[in-house]
Amino acid sequence: MQCLRDSVLTHLRVMVFRRQLVLTRDVSASSSLNRLLCTATGSNHDQVMARVIGLVKKFDKIDVTKVTESADFQKDLSLDSLDRVELVMAFEQEFSIEIPDEQADKLKCCADVAKYIQSAPKSEDS
Amino acid sequence: MSGAASYLMRRAAQKERVRILYRRALKDTLTWAVHRHLFYPDADALRERFDANKNVEDIETIDRMIADGESQYNKWRHPDPYIVPWAPGGSKFTRNPEPPSGIEIVYDYGREDH
Repeated sequence: MQCLRDSVLTHLRVMVFRRQLVLTRDVSASSSLNRLLCTATGSNHDQVMARVIGLVKKFDKIDVTKVTESADFQKDLSLDSLDRVELVMAFEQEFSIEIPDEQADKLKCCADVAKYIQSAPKSEDS
Repeated sequence: MSGAASYLMRRAAQKERVRILYRRALKDTLTWAVHRHLFYPDADALRERFDANKNVEDIETIDRMIADGESQYNKWRHPDPYIVPWAPGGSKFTRNPEPPSGIEIVYDYGREDH
């Protein structure tokens, strides 16, 4: 009986030990995976900029070839004020942020938008 | 001269009001129409209503139209608008706030040098 118990216990202990190993490996693997799959805003300026520019290019009233980082929405891309409102709304939904009314007027080009998104207080992943 | 300046100032104020009205109305449209395929026609209809009066020049008429639009917006405002979860008023607002900047996590689990 004792022998049986011992064998069971050692087996269990080994099992637990193994599971811990697997767990630690899993945690590190999942964190690296998270890092790969992460779409949180504000992590990288280039990424944010690429997403902003991609979004601007998808806007149907804009000539795709004219979109650059510093192209002014109103002058260079010939949007009127209501189009800019729609664009700001698209940014809000893409990055899940809330842009206040007075800030929305100041966003004049892609670089402004990217800067604002990075400076915005974000708590998406916290 | 002051007449022209005041005219321009009134025009600028009107543009601002129209912009904010359109922004709020567009957000409200999204709150009413939760799905995209419902939202897009509604947003187009809203834009058409704004564009229909694009070329109105008379300043008093514009004022009246803006007041009319604002009252319509207030009448049809959604009682429970969508708020981004981590924005003020959202469901995740101030949940799990970031720790203050002076605090850091030490990961060496009791092996510090005391």
